[in-house]
Amino acid sequence: MARKSNNMTHWPRQILAWALVLLLSGCASTAPGPSATQQPEVEARVREPARQDSDGIQVFPLQNPAVKELLADASNAEQTGDYGQAASYLERALRIQPRDPEILQSMAEVQLQMQDYEQALNFATRSYDIGPRVGEICSRNWRTISVSKEYLGDSKGSVDAEKKAAVCMNTKPRGL
Amino acid sequence: MSKRKKKTAARRKKASPPKQRRWFGKIWRLGLLLVGIFTGLMLPWVIYLNYQVTTEFEGRKWDLPSHVYARALDLYQGALLSRSDLELELKAAGYRAASDASRPGLYRVSGSTVDIYRRSFGFHDGFEESRKVRVRLGSGKVTAVSSLPAGQSLDLFRLEPSEIAAIYPLQKEDRTLIRIEQAPPLLVTGLQSVEDRNFKHHPGVDLRGILRAAFANLKAGKAVQGGSTLTQQLVKNYFLTHDRTIARKFNEAIMALLLEAHYGKSEILEAYLNEVFLGQQGAFAVHGFGQASLFYFDQPLDRLEANQIALLIGLVKGASYYNPRRHPERARGRRNQVLASFAETGLLTEAQARQQAALPLGVTEKPRTRGTRYHAFVDLVRRQLAQVYQEDDLKTEGLRIFTTLAPLVQEKAQAAVSEGLKQLEARGLSPTLQAAMVVADISTGEVQGLVGDRNPNRAGFNRAIHARRQIGSVIKPLVYLLALEHKQDYSLVSRIMDEPISLRQADGSAWSPSNYDNKSHGEVTLLEALTRSYNQATVRLGMNIGVNHLVSRIQQLGVQANVDPVPSIFLGAVELTPLEVTQIYQSIAAGGFSVPLRSLIAVQTADGNELVRYPLRMVPQPNREAIAVLNYALTQVVEQGTASALPGLLAQSGTIAGKTGTTNDRRDSWFVGYTRNQVAVSWVGEDDNRPAGVTGSNAAMQLWGRLFRQLPIESVDLRMPDGAYWLWVDRNSGLLTLEDCEGAVQIPFVDGSGPAQSTACMSARQDDEESFWRKLLGKKKQ
Repeated sequence: MARKSNNMTHWPRQILAWALVLLLSGCASTAPGPSATQQPEVEARVREPARQDSDGIQVFPLQNPAVKELLADASNAEQTGDYGQAASYLERALRIQPRDPEILQSMAEVQLQMQDYEQALNFATRSYDIGPRVGEICSRNWRTISVSKEYLGDSKGSVDAEKKAAVCMNTKPRGL
Repeated sequence: MSKRKKKTAARRKKASPPKQRRWFGKIWRLGLLLVGIFTGLMLPWVIYLNYQVTTEFEGRKWDLPSHVYARALDLYQGALLSRSDLELELKAAGYRAASDASRPGLYRVSGSTVDIYRRSFGFHDGFEESRKVRVRLGSGKVTAVSSLPAGQSLDLFRLEPSEIAAIYPLQKEDRTLIRIEQAPPLLVTGLQSVEDRNFKHHPGVDLRGILRAAFANLKAGKAVQGGSTLTQQLVKNYFLTHDRTIARKFNEAIMALLLEAHYGKSEILEAYLNEVFLGQQGAFAVHGFGQASLFYFDQPLDRLEANQIALLIGLVKGASYYNPRRHPERARGRRNQVLASFAETGLLTEAQARQQAALPLGVTEKPRTRGTRYHAFVDLVRRQLAQVYQEDDLKTEGLRIFTTLAPLVQEKAQAAVSEGLKQLEARGLSPTLQAAMVVADISTGEVQGLVGDRNPNRAGFNRAIHARRQIGSVIKPLVYLLALEHKQDYSLVSRIMDEPISLRQADGSAWSPSNYDNKSHGEVTLLEALTRSYNQATVRLGMNIGVNHLVSRIQQLGVQANVDPVPSIFLGAVELTPLEVTQIYQSIAAGGFSVPLRSLIAVQTADGNELVRYPLRMVPQPNREAIAVLNYALTQVVEQGTASALPGLLAQSGTIAGKTGTTNDRRDSWFVGYTRNQVAVSWVGEDDNRPAGVTGSNAAMQLWGRLFRQLPIESVDLRMPDGAYWLWVDRNSGLLTLEDCEGAVQIPFVDGSGPAQSTACMSARQDDEESFWRKLLGKKKQ
């Protein structure tokens, strides 16, 4: 009995501790650090402008239904903030189609979400190298490169990449 | 002591009690005497036995091993997979062919259709229920996947991966131990139904069982039944001797009672499952059901069917007498007895038991050599685990390790190496030649197969990872890559001199390399010099570029090896392992996106929580346009250079890039080759580095060809990135030309390295065109 009451006296302290934890975690999710790239930023700075750039021009090759399913799974995982799982789906898709610019670009965007700017830059660059280098995906490539470089502290490179995104709507470059 | 006893006895006599009392007293005294003797003699003995049996029991408790899985095979329309490949993968994952895929673990082949009942499985990225599907195949591809019985089409489906090994990541020893909770229930209950039905209730020795056995033996006039409990059998296993003396039996019984007093039933049963003797492989005994399952079926225990479990339980009675490989009929009889016992105790229905009894034994023809299947690959897994994970993580019991191994690639690579070397022997090469092979996915860096010995089942020196050998001409492409990076000076059509060259070495002596054919070829293009692997031209080119550049480029491409900056490295006086060579060529084949070669995908705890994941990461190389141009040059090695015999070894056509390598006195033979998605490196030579009479194309390329004859070949991707493009040039002069001019060939150039002048054909055509437009527009030529 004495024990029980003893426990009871701990209650207020426990509540206080929990409240503190909740408060702190609340802080963490509402006030991100200055370098956190939240999904809205990828949407606002990469995907949406790329959609506008392309003005409906799609140059994606016909997609394998298996890859399509995995891209959809990855996109769903990304929506719920499970970027690790999204990356895992995309890796599986890359095993099926290792040179698919769309998968590589999606991976770059997931890396951006995970704030791994170096890998975001690398995946977007690879996507551009083997991709159509024109149209929406090209625009997403360069916008991802631009955002990544900005966070990596290369502001000139970031501005240059932003400019290249605009050129994606012109004719195909040489070499293709 | 005896004196005092006599005295007491004398005193009691004097009291002269009634007769019965005296008798009682006698018995009492005898009892006391016996207790005395027991205490004096037996107790120390029992204490000794107790010490022995508990030490043994405690000492034999090990941690659970980690389970190593291959990659899960994805099935989807368009997947490059033949029916036999699919069957190979199914067998590797422990599936059995049946007339109907009616249970998980079974498949049925009918023409070009394969029905598969997949088991439920916790993949590294999620759990999936068991599921039955139909896969249609045709012309080397999956043409459709649909679910059964409904038949709706599936976009994507995967097989659970084959379990390739059970390892202790921090130890060299491998044992396949099991926990009682993880043992198939039929094994646990079935074992008791056959060997010791009263196991749950007896204290270690079963008097009723002994009496029953004795009665049965008396009736039969010979020993037909044993009365030993599982506990007694376990004790017997601990101190394996075959004498059947009464004393031995007595000791066993005492120790059994002691074990039961110390430990719970499930602990004892678990120890039994891991200890019982179930076979002999050469000098090594096969202990425990986990090990036996691999030994007889090459599959982990949890993938066995009722009849296979029955076979193993049957072996308890006499592993050598009922050896299913030597005496299949005896083994079958015993197995079916066990199945009948299952039915009798209600573990199986009569119908199930009958159906299982009709099945073949399903034992593999030969037991795998001791050690894990694909142990060369598992070796790499261990190495990378140690590099990537904390030792404390690896101490966790029963990890689930998901790897990149593709069983069908691994099997074919093993066959290519061992059969290929036999063929070389038939052609007069040494029978002691050794070889190694590495196959990886170019874009993901995943190692799909790795062979480290001519006998893939032999554990020991793993040449793919540990053999450092000179790489010979396999280095040359890097010299040309460096040249192409100097775009103002070099392109593939630039001319260099292939003529005698003499260099002073560090020790003051002169070094004068000669060509393979002992001739000098005069003025040649870079492309010719590379595709024909001219030594003199390469050294001259290298000297223009500088030794240090080459050394740093090797390191940049992902190899941290010590390389001496001496001119002979232009011809490959660098010692690298096959795995390191694969890493260099992965970077080139991926157009300059280096991905560290990896064998791991993820590691989970036993209950499926992710411990660590090893994600795909890439490192871009500088001057990727030059790498793209080099890729084209390497396709020409196969098209018209030193590897021009390769297409003849293959079953399919397709653009392949490659490079042969031979070292001084023909000690080492190398071949590096890649298709669109796979890079593979093979090496052949003698372990003691003596001249072996091998060249890149007569040995290593033969093994490579054997492998790719059985793999789908997709053409190398030759699209140029920004900063490189294709031009039409004249084959002989290297001048710019037009597609329909004579001698026109299309060659890629790094931007700014293209020829400035054009052929007469092109100029004339341009003049014509110009005058045409001028006429048309009515303008005068100024």
